[in-house]
Amino acid sequence: MLITGIKSRPVYDELTPMASGLNHIAAAQGSGGKPLVRLLTAMTPEQLASTTVLYSTESFTGHNFLSELQQFAVRELRVFPGNADAVGGLDTVLAAAEMGTRLYLAGSEGFIGTSMQVATSYGMHRDEVLREHAGSFVRRVWCAHCGHYSENVAHRVFVCPGCELNLIVRDHYSGRLAAFQGVKADSEVPGELPANEELDT
Amino acid sequence: MTASPASTAFKTDETYTPEGNYNFKNSPEGVRRLPFPFPDDDYMYSMNLEPHVPAGDGALKAAFDVDEHYVSECAHRAQMLRDMPGVHYLALPHMMEAQWDLLELIFESYARDFPEHFTLTKDGNEWRWQNRLLNIDDSFTFGDPSTLPMDPMKYATRQAQGEFVVLEEKDNTLVIGAGMTTQRADYSLKFNVGMSFFEFHGPVPKLHDMGILDRALKFLLRMKPGHPVRRVNWSLTVNPRLETSVETLHEWAPDRTTVTSENAGEKVYLRIELQPLHRLPRSNAIVFPVRTYLVSLSELVQYAPNWAKRIHRALASLDPELVDYKGFHRYHAAAVEWLSHHDDGAPLATGYPWASGGIQPTGE
Repeated sequence: MLITGIKSRPVYDELTPMASGLNHIAAAQGSGGKPLVRLLTAMTPEQLASTTVLYSTESFTGHNFLSELQQFAVRELRVFPGNADAVGGLDTVLAAAEMGTRLYLAGSEGFIGTSMQVATSYGMHRDEVLREHAGSFVRRVWCAHCGHYSENVAHRVFVCPGCELNLIVRDHYSGRLAAFQGVKADSEVPGELPANEELDT
Repeated sequence: MTASPASTAFKTDETYTPEGNYNFKNSPEGVRRLPFPFPDDDYMYSMNLEPHVPAGDGALKAAFDVDEHYVSECAHRAQMLRDMPGVHYLALPHMMEAQWDLLELIFESYARDFPEHFTLTKDGNEWRWQNRLLNIDDSFTFGDPSTLPMDPMKYATRQAQGEFVVLEEKDNTLVIGAGMTTQRADYSLKFNVGMSFFEFHGPVPKLHDMGILDRALKFLLRMKPGHPVRRVNWSLTVNPRLETSVETLHEWAPDRTTVTSENAGEKVYLRIELQPLHRLPRSNAIVFPVRTYLVSLSELVQYAPNWAKRIHRALASLDPELVDYKGFHRYHAAAVEWLSHHDDGAPLATGYPWASGGIQPTGE
């Protein structure tokens, strides 16, 4: 079973204003605030006035870009204490969104992935969304054996909080689950664990 | 016209699980009719797609093959669906039209190719389906899910051998929209649903660099209804276990440590996958069936000695990356060693057994 070198990981974009948009929604988390500042700087005053910003101050690396984001004359800035809250906020905003809406996402893979689940549920097309990865490459991992989702996984091998099996994180990503796949690391010979390592950091 | 030999004796009590003590074996005729997947002594991936037209008297005679394991395999599917609900069958909500397409394709094919076992009677959209092997006689309205006890795809594939993955065409690629996969080899349906062609092939080494995937996708996107294509693939499995999903990896992976050069003949099974792909007429989806056949190395030696020699050579020269990907690095050497005692080095014919001049199971 291949663990590394699997080509299913999302390829990310760079956030730039989408000229075709009539209405813009920009959501970011932690370090994702930095590309968001860059995006807003590149926007015209008209684009800023039709932009709603959602920002979660939860961060794995401790970076906070809230004060920079507050400098822009956007239509609305909504601040959330946690990533899950921000994703919920995105759901609310998208529920009221109209045709011509463009979405910008920035932050951890888990944040981008779970936000994409929401965008997809509203039928947003891939070319109406830009995604920029920022900050740490910690991962959201789905346990193939018990279905538990682990957030912010930083190591190749870890113990699943759901079933307590030793999991190895494969470089295999499911957009629908917004997660990487974790499988029992010592499945052939219990106790025979592969070398651990930090993930992409 | 029937695609099954008059003598087919359907076994009803086979098991594919350790709890059932793996009560499974092939008849000599059952082995010799297999779609043996090694045309040459050296094996490497290729697209190996060919038109899915009837060929020979074996597994490639029917559009969807039915063999002596049919009844037991359907019982195994029912058991797997019961044991792990939500893991082996999934369909995204917008796939309903493709589900009916698939039901129609399977039932029409079975009724046409095996009229002694299956009958489909249509009066407009009022259909009657008789499956004498499973004692089913149901009437329903085609296109109306409320007239069936479950999803149409689930209903049809519970009565079919092999797994079925339905791909929808979207943005110039193929995306997994539904699957009935109680016998999948080392992947998770739940994880893979929604993935595109390149994503779900992500874990397969070499394919991307070899350009095979690009060509395969272009080919598949040009497929038309009524013109199915097929390919064969293979792997090895320890014990005749059909359900080898990622979800249950920890239950079956330890078996890989039990193979020795003494017991490899009984323990190691060649897992042949026959994949006849069809474009579905209404939904424009493509169904990717994986019809899995299990045959032990010792059954090959006993009933198909030429194929045993061929697989010995193909395994001995196999690319280490493929050995690892297919998950048998731990017992590869033992299997090759066991097979070496059954290979006299005689030259073997080239080509699939169903092709003219191809490798036959027995004889010169």
